[in-house]
Amino acid sequence: MTRTLAPLVGAALDRVDGARKVAGAAPYPNDVRYPDLAYAALVRATISAGRVSGIETEGAEGAPGVLTVITHLTAPRLSRGPATSIGPQPTPPLQGDRVDYDGQYLAVVVAGTREQAVAAADLVEVRYEVDEPVLRTEDPRAEREENPWHFDTTRGDPAGALRTAEVRVDSTYTTPHLTNNPLGPFTTVARWDGDDLTVHDSTQHTANTRSALAGVFGIPEERVRVLAPFVGGGFGAGLRSWPHVTVAAMAARVVGRPVALELTRPEMFTGTGGRPSTVQRIRLGSTVDGRLVAIDHHAEYPAAMDDAVRYRVTPRGAGAYACPNFAARDVQVRLNVPPTGHMRAPGTAEGLFALECALDELAFRLDIDPVDLRLRNVAEVDPENGRPWTTTGLRECYRVGAERFGWYGRSPAPCSMRDGHRMVGYGMAGVTFGWTMMPCRAAATLHPDGTATIATSATDIGTGTYTILTQLAADLLDLPPDWVRVELGDTRLPKAPAAGGSGLTAAVTNAVQDACRNLLEIVRNGHPRGTDVRAEGASAPPEREDVAPSGAFAAVFAEVRVDPDLGELRVVRLVTAVDGGRIMNPKLAASQIIGGTVGGLGMALMERTTPDPGSGRIMNANLGDYLVPVHADVPDVDVLFVGGPDPLTPMGVKGVGEVGVVGVAPAVANAVHHATGRRLRALPLTVENLL
Amino acid sequence: MRTLEYVRVGEPAQAVAELAADPAAAFLAGGTTQLDLMKIGTVTARRLVDITRLPLRDVTFDGGDLRVGALVTMERLAREPVVAQRLPVLRDALLAGASVQLRNAATIGGNLLQRTRCPYFRDVATACNKRDPGAGCAALEGVHRNHAILGTSPHCIATHPSDLAVALVALDAVVRLLGPDGPRTVPLTGFYLPPDDTPRLETVLRHGDLVTGVDIPLPAQGTRSGYLKVRDRASYDFALASAAVVADPGRTRVALGGVATVPWRARRAEAVLREAPEAFVAAAGAELADAEPRRDNGYKVELARRTLIRALSTWAAP
Repeated sequence: MTRTLAPLVGAALDRVDGARKVAGAAPYPNDVRYPDLAYAALVRATISAGRVSGIETEGAEGAPGVLTVITHLTAPRLSRGPATSIGPQPTPPLQGDRVDYDGQYLAVVVAGTREQAVAAADLVEVRYEVDEPVLRTEDPRAEREENPWHFDTTRGDPAGALRTAEVRVDSTYTTPHLTNNPLGPFTTVARWDGDDLTVHDSTQHTANTRSALAGVFGIPEERVRVLAPFVGGGFGAGLRSWPHVTVAAMAARVVGRPVALELTRPEMFTGTGGRPSTVQRIRLGSTVDGRLVAIDHHAEYPAAMDDAVRYRVTPRGAGAYACPNFAARDVQVRLNVPPTGHMRAPGTAEGLFALECALDELAFRLDIDPVDLRLRNVAEVDPENGRPWTTTGLRECYRVGAERFGWYGRSPAPCSMRDGHRMVGYGMAGVTFGWTMMPCRAAATLHPDGTATIATSATDIGTGTYTILTQLAADLLDLPPDWVRVELGDTRLPKAPAAGGSGLTAAVTNAVQDACRNLLEIVRNGHPRGTDVRAEGASAPPEREDVAPSGAFAAVFAEVRVDPDLGELRVVRLVTAVDGGRIMNPKLAASQIIGGTVGGLGMALMERTTPDPGSGRIMNANLGDYLVPVHADVPDVDVLFVGGPDPLTPMGVKGVGEVGVVGVAPAVANAVHHATGRRLRALPLTVENLL
Repeated sequence: MRTLEYVRVGEPAQAVAELAADPAAAFLAGGTTQLDLMKIGTVTARRLVDITRLPLRDVTFDGGDLRVGALVTMERLAREPVVAQRLPVLRDALLAGASVQLRNAATIGGNLLQRTRCPYFRDVATACNKRDPGAGCAALEGVHRNHAILGTSPHCIATHPSDLAVALVALDAVVRLLGPDGPRTVPLTGFYLPPDDTPRLETVLRHGDLVTGVDIPLPAQGTRSGYLKVRDRASYDFALASAAVVADPGRTRVALGGVATVPWRARRAEAVLREAPEAFVAAAGAELADAEPRRDNGYKVELARRTLIRALSTWAAP
């Protein structure tokens, strides 16, 4: 039996959930209501280091509507859930008097209304013994962990090759602390029924929230149900089960009523991770004709005192350039900062900024076109293991992107192009993105009325999973798309991995394909009329010794204008060419790339989480002061897809969730150099650097 | 729960009386800044006197002055034909501020009383002399990339955030007030108080004074004017530096924004230009000569200088 993936897979179908969202009918976690729902508000530390020497709760406890105030003195003892592929679970909240970061939860107030809880939280008085916080990676008191997650790599003899290289680049790049800021403030609504816990949560990974909470409360996973049918974005912030999730569940248990805890925007800045700041030294060695002989990449970045995630800034395989000698070293430095986490293309966005800018420096020094330099060094095999890629669309990305952009029409010398008084610059960057796939299960059910239901615990955080699974099942089952219903975001459904790491689409489409195939097998063998027919399916990352699974490739081209007097930088044009394997829906995939590009623009131009230098307290924890791009900052973004299905998996999908972000900041910084002759090695690229 | 009284008034005198009777009361107009500040605890009024029903929404032109009611919204004023024709500096400054949504709610009177965006003023867990006199100023050694370099004091370096007020001080606008003792007028150039050792006092207003309108003398026919604003993002952002220029025949008036504790009438630059109308570089240099930058806002000295030169070159060149 062979069903063709047509006409729907690959078609630009509108979002199947769009109308529900526009009408306000899609239930997000903060829409959940129970008749006896209580509301929680958090009390957070206002120092970065020390201990709580006293906490007065009487005023809050006596305030109108207050059901309870829980502090470290009264909170139930909790455990830490099991570690996952992204690292340990966060430190359980309210378990001691130590304060490790400004924003740490010190108490939770539960009341009959949200307003009562917020007002009472103001009445909790905290006294501290204050320690001098450790806030900078260069602080000699800071604990440094070299190679914290065992990703460090050395191939060949990078030190020797650097010594003897004909041309060298040695530069230090810095990137700031960034905050994810999904539109929907994270919300947890928790409800206990005996020892059974139901949680509605803003998560990108329902299975993780379930195992984390089961571990925290010491109950079997089967007793925890996590629901997240709709989530107001995540950008990686929802990959962990953060302390507020535990607080909500704990509060619900203590008051014996369901409890809703909706984070405020300032709380999002300290409670849901973010992109750590980095300092990166990168050294390149090359021949005079532009063959890379050495890449040495060293990255340092902070982690919280008592909570760190698995992280890697230096790109794998030296960013997939064909270089015989390379070294990659990561150092995590423990500081009194809020827990860092994952923000869209975590690590890779920072690391590739440094690498792709350094390559531009090299191209300039060698007087070789930046695209040509990259083409001379394309890794035809995976540099880590010498295996051929399953697909290599990178050259095609450069060719198609450069052509669409008109790259070769530029005048190569810096400061040589103008538009009136404004300087014009072209810049570009290449991207080899990592491949990720995790085991996934899904179910397909055919109903007596001829319609079908696809079900999996995966979340759709706005990326379009509902839509592409509808397209896929409609094609495989030969049904019109509106006869297919997709159920997501419920741990009672077959277990799926995170909507993260650009890996969900490959995992879930292959699992759904398997489920549909199994379903058709049953149907073909005959089944009783008038009943549901259900089949499960699964996918797993193929274990292949002969090939290197390739993630997405991309080439990003940027045109900027810089006012030489006022230092104002505007990006006026962006072209991104992407090899994303099979594109399930070009409209949604292009939206992903455009959204990633806007995130990359924010990283390039303005985003920066700003702590007070003395206290460490974040001083711009709101969307008035933490700038993200507005429409006027975003030019037309031209997205082109190249390549085709990747042979590694039946579906041929690679995933395009993050590849759109990573090339933008280096492409813009390189364009600024072309426009002005200034090499800016620190993000964001703000006015004071361009005067 | 923080309880709050709310009253709505229909006559200006009634509004003044309501406030005068209660030291913890405040007027409420568009509320675009005030309600935010109340939510985060920076402003602690216990009684709000809603003035949005007062008859202060007219824009009239008597041939000499443009008379603008205090409750006229920013967006409405920007769309007035006379503003587009005769007061481009005002129109530019209005449209450079906030977003359309906010400009449709925010009033002219409220904009003149807009509070600073200094993060320490807004964060009650930190030290701020403006919010809490005597507490100290955390911005001095803290986050101050967008703080003032002109008109500062050892007690406060908070930047005045308004674009509109910068244009209006360049235009010699006059504020109309109604107080417990009756109506009076104050030139906008004398309306704002630099922080000195009383950063809490931002204007000459006394408790109970109601801003009823702004009178804007129209520049002579043929006057060129404009407002230039430099910022981190292309829209919906406060100024890092801005300049308003009104080049009447024979006289150039100049003001700076984004760099000072009050909307900054650039008298020194004007004095240079009176002697040498095209000495833009010298004028800008003179205005910034006494600027007092700190660790992270030193760039503003050069940025303000260049912004002023660009603005003068654009609107004051012969």
